[in-house]
Amino acid sequence: MRPSSLVRLSALLLLVIFVTMPEAFAFLFEPLITPGAPAIYNQGSLFALTMQHLRTVCLATLASTLLAVALGIFVTRPSGAEFLPLSRSLVNIGQTFPPIAVLAIAVPLVGFGEKPTFVALFLYGLLPIFENTLTGLTQVPPTALEAARGMGMNAWQRLVQVELPLALPMILAGIRLSVIISLGTATIGSTVAAKGLGEVIIAGLQSNNIAFVLQGGLVVALLAVLVHDGLGLLERIAARKLGRSLDETP
Amino acid sequence: MITIDHLTKRYGSTLVVDDISFEVEEGTLTVVVGTSGAGKSTLLRMINRLVEPTGGRVLIDGEDTRTIPEDALRHRIGYVIQGYGLFPHRNVADNIATVPRLLRWDRKRIAQRVEELLDLFQLDPAEFAHKFPHELSGGQQQRVGVARALAARPALLLMDEPFGALDAVIRSKAQDDLLAIQRRLGTTIVLVTHDMNEAFHLGDRIAVMDQARLLQYAAPAELLMHPADDFVERLVGTAERPFRLLSLTKVQEVLEAGRAEGEPITASESLHEALSRLLWTGRAALPVADAAGAIIGQVSVGSILRHGRPLP
Repeated sequence: MRPSSLVRLSALLLLVIFVTMPEAFAFLFEPLITPGAPAIYNQGSLFALTMQHLRTVCLATLASTLLAVALGIFVTRPSGAEFLPLSRSLVNIGQTFPPIAVLAIAVPLVGFGEKPTFVALFLYGLLPIFENTLTGLTQVPPTALEAARGMGMNAWQRLVQVELPLALPMILAGIRLSVIISLGTATIGSTVAAKGLGEVIIAGLQSNNIAFVLQGGLVVALLAVLVHDGLGLLERIAARKLGRSLDETP
Repeated sequence: MITIDHLTKRYGSTLVVDDISFEVEEGTLTVVVGTSGAGKSTLLRMINRLVEPTGGRVLIDGEDTRTIPEDALRHRIGYVIQGYGLFPHRNVADNIATVPRLLRWDRKRIAQRVEELLDLFQLDPAEFAHKFPHELSGGQQQRVGVARALAARPALLLMDEPFGALDAVIRSKAQDDLLAIQRRLGTTIVLVTHDMNEAFHLGDRIAVMDQARLLQYAAPAELLMHPADDFVERLVGTAERPFRLLSLTKVQEVLEAGRAEGEPITASESLHEALSRLLWTGRAALPVADAAGAIIGQVSVGSILRHGRPLP
């Protein structure tokens, strides 16, 4: 086993053990708290919160991916080309809005809980995926497209058999970026009562318990590193098939 | 037979192809040659309707191409471009299988056809079938590009500068290979190039284009001896004319009795090759051998020189 995969595996193991039996790590956090306060988050299961957190992020990213990739495909077709500037600015607006502001606007519309968080993450995740889909689709070698047309592939066959497979590493890189941003951003969802790891951090801030803040933060950070790594692996597999070197996919 | 009938293409007020008509005999190789911007690629791309003509029509065996759905037409016509446009995400076998798959051939038939083509192009299936395009040399990519175009046994093959990306040594080998495969399969080929040497090497007939017009359509020897106008004469190159003429004639045709000294030349070689060997070795005549290596006569400088000028 290579050292890098060993590190990967132990990080995953650490995360799983920590969220399933956090009490075992109590000794690490005891020096950080005032006497009498709990050393380990005690207002719910860390494991359940982690799953909730992941669920929100996955659903939001899935929705962003669907819309962003569909939009990216549409504006690179001849019929959709004139919508390119418009969709670019729309997606950019989604990114410039601070997620906390989206939450503030969304709560009166959809109520407290997961929904406003979902909306914020969805909007926030669009830009990287959309931009990368555009880049991926416009970088398809023109000779490959010309050959595809010359061999009698129709527009749909060209898209599915040539353009999307060639753009895949770029699209995956966009999804990875979007997931990482969302994993962190999702913590603020807890300010509007969404279930997630933000709860742990906020509980810690409210009761002045640094151990809680650290636990919430650490789990989110480990998740981000692992997901980043896992998706990066997928990208490299996709890119290797195209014969590109690893450094070309950021 | 391909009939190009008053074909015209106009972009705005610019004429790119101006009222061109000619016929391509079945099983022959026709080269369209001209300077860049002469409209030769556009002419080629109108045959498989990648470019829609402004006027005129193209008939394949009497059938108007406009009556055939675009994609179906292109499945029937092989197409090779400069740079080949191999799909980087598909291996060699899958690249070659592109059109058979579009035509929904069954798996076994596709596998058989791919293997057959790899053999034909001297690419060992065990070694190359699973390689990706970026793992191939330029010459191998070129062969895969042509194999892919021939996969569904098209009766017509269109080639746009197919050797443009190859260096000189590989290029002449690739040209010879193409000729051999064309003779073997009997495919009708229309090939576009800006290289006069290539045109004379490959063409059964040559169409010379300049500024959207067809200046002359004739056999290579005819082009040399009776150029239609000054432009064709300049393009053919007056200094190289006799040598081009010599390269069109085989040693066989000037065979004389006698037994000269030295390394024999094969009867199927060109007079150009024979002359250059005579010059290099300083001899007046060379023995001629047949394909099996038996001496069948000789070829002399005098007989060669008589073929290097137009007959009265």
